[in-house]
Amino acid sequence: MPGRIRGQLLKGTTTLLVLTVLREGELYGYEIAQRIRDMSGGAFVPSEGSLYPALHALEADGALEASWREGDRGPRRRYYRITRTGLGMLEAHAQEWAAFSLGMTRAVGRVDR
Amino acid sequence: MIGLIAFIGGFGAFLIAAVALVRRSERRLGTGLPTASPPARLGTEGQAEISAYLDRMTTELRLPAADVAEVRAELADHLYDSIASLEAEGFDPESAVREALGRLGPPAELGRLLRAAHQSTRRLLAGAGGGVFAAGGGFVLGYLGGVVLALLGFLALLAVGSVLALVGVRLLDIAPQDGGNTINSLLYVAAFAMAVATATRYAVRTSAGLSRRAPRTVAVFWAVAGAIVFGWLALFGMRGPQSWPSVALELCIPLVAVASAFFRIDRPMPHVGRWAVIVTALTVVVISLGFFAVTGSSTSVSEESAPVLCSVSDQSSSCQPDFGFDTVAPMAPAAWLPEGTFSGGGWGSDPASGGTRVNDTMGSQGLPSWTDLQYEAWHALPVDELGPGGVDTHYSTPFAVQPAALNGNSLSAVFHFERLRDAVHWWIFLTGVGPDGHRYRMGDGRGGQSNFNGSAWDWLTAPQ
Repeated sequence: MPGRIRGQLLKGTTTLLVLTVLREGELYGYEIAQRIRDMSGGAFVPSEGSLYPALHALEADGALEASWREGDRGPRRRYYRITRTGLGMLEAHAQEWAAFSLGMTRAVGRVDR
Repeated sequence: MIGLIAFIGGFGAFLIAAVALVRRSERRLGTGLPTASPPARLGTEGQAEISAYLDRMTTELRLPAADVAEVRAELADHLYDSIASLEAEGFDPESAVREALGRLGPPAELGRLLRAAHQSTRRLLAGAGGGVFAAGGGFVLGYLGGVVLALLGFLALLAVGSVLALVGVRLLDIAPQDGGNTINSLLYVAAFAMAVATATRYAVRTSAGLSRRAPRTVAVFWAVAGAIVFGWLALFGMRGPQSWPSVALELCIPLVAVASAFFRIDRPMPHVGRWAVIVTALTVVVISLGFFAVTGSSTSVSEESAPVLCSVSDQSSSCQPDFGFDTVAPMAPAAWLPEGTFSGGGWGSDPASGGTRVNDTMGSQGLPSWTDLQYEAWHALPVDELGPGGVDTHYSTPFAVQPAALNGNSLSAVFHFERLRDAVHWWIFLTGVGPDGHRYRMGDGRGGQSNFNGSAWDWLTAPQ
């Protein structure tokens, strides 16, 4: 199991992670944190203190829509849903990340040699 | 006609849109969701710890009430989930609470981050624009409401006057004898004050909802802006009949704006339905059209064009026997003003300056032996059923003097009674220094009535 990603490195990726997990369907805050942890095999554990500001900022930007309703298996929750704007934002962030990741991989690989 | 319909339609649509925007924005200012009750298994201490954390966090939020309630409820839900999960991992309840709170981080920091997330620049701009739009709608709506209330008040006054007339009391005897100037100006300013109050309140509530800020936070901005803009309008922009009571009320307009921005600003605005807007607008239109039809399209109260026609030589029963003209100066001896010295003259509005122009046309012989010709305006007694009032003999000097300008064979001068506070009833005389070195009047003069017309600033700076 890969080690946990350092906080500083994770900073700035919360938006991409949140949009990615919400692409699959509606989730509430706690579920989003769990889903990110599960999807990354425990590598990414977003700070809960930064998760909610990120969710609310995305909502303010129109990338997410939120609504209160009873959950399928439990009490009332605030569910987030990705919007068309959010999908566009996800695509842009994903491309940026791919470029960044490729560049980093090449650079780090060169250092290793 | 099509233009009028388009104007009324557009105006109505603007008002309805403004009211709809206010109502939509106000949804954020409601009480919002209640926070879910904590699970009983947490115990009193754990619950108190969570409550204290959420309280500290919400003090940093400074968001509208509905947003605060939502954030608080969402984070409480998160904490309860987190604690349950930690307990399942083997934490005891007390440690689970502390761990869950620790994972959320310092409450003040979380509150600040959430506030920054909500109060984006986009929302700030939306709040500012929406506030201005709502203020415009609120101003018009408040003014229309104020006009309707003023008209209803006026009708009530007429009704009271009619009832009093039945028992022999004349309302006009108690009302100021200024041709309704004071009442007009007070009704005008009262409607304006209502417009200012509604506009400021609409602006605060709308911008708070759209920018996601607490109403009291944005109230500071709108109070200052309202006091400056509406204060400037009240002091310099509102031109019309003025009186001391109306000027005093106009000087209070900035206070009205400030008070409206803060007083019970957390409470919702009274519900204004679309039909109320439509009915109010139509009422104003119908009453205005009726008013124009009755008054012949004239709403000016600044000056009455009819001069007092009765001359001093007319000693009929409808005239007072003594007009007090000798208070001004003795009449020039007939030998010095032979028949034909003056062939005409009168007074009327001066289109160029808006003042009152008085003129006399001289015969061909002119006034060669006279010097220092001038027009003198004297206070006069009001016109009543006994006939036109004469010179008010309480005064020993004219309240305004203008040199008579000679142009060809015509003498003239312009008076600005509309800029003088106490020039309601007046007589104007042409006087001059005769061959013996004494001043004489050259006729019976002419009288009339004017009302002050200008801004509050004009009133305050008007010469005494």
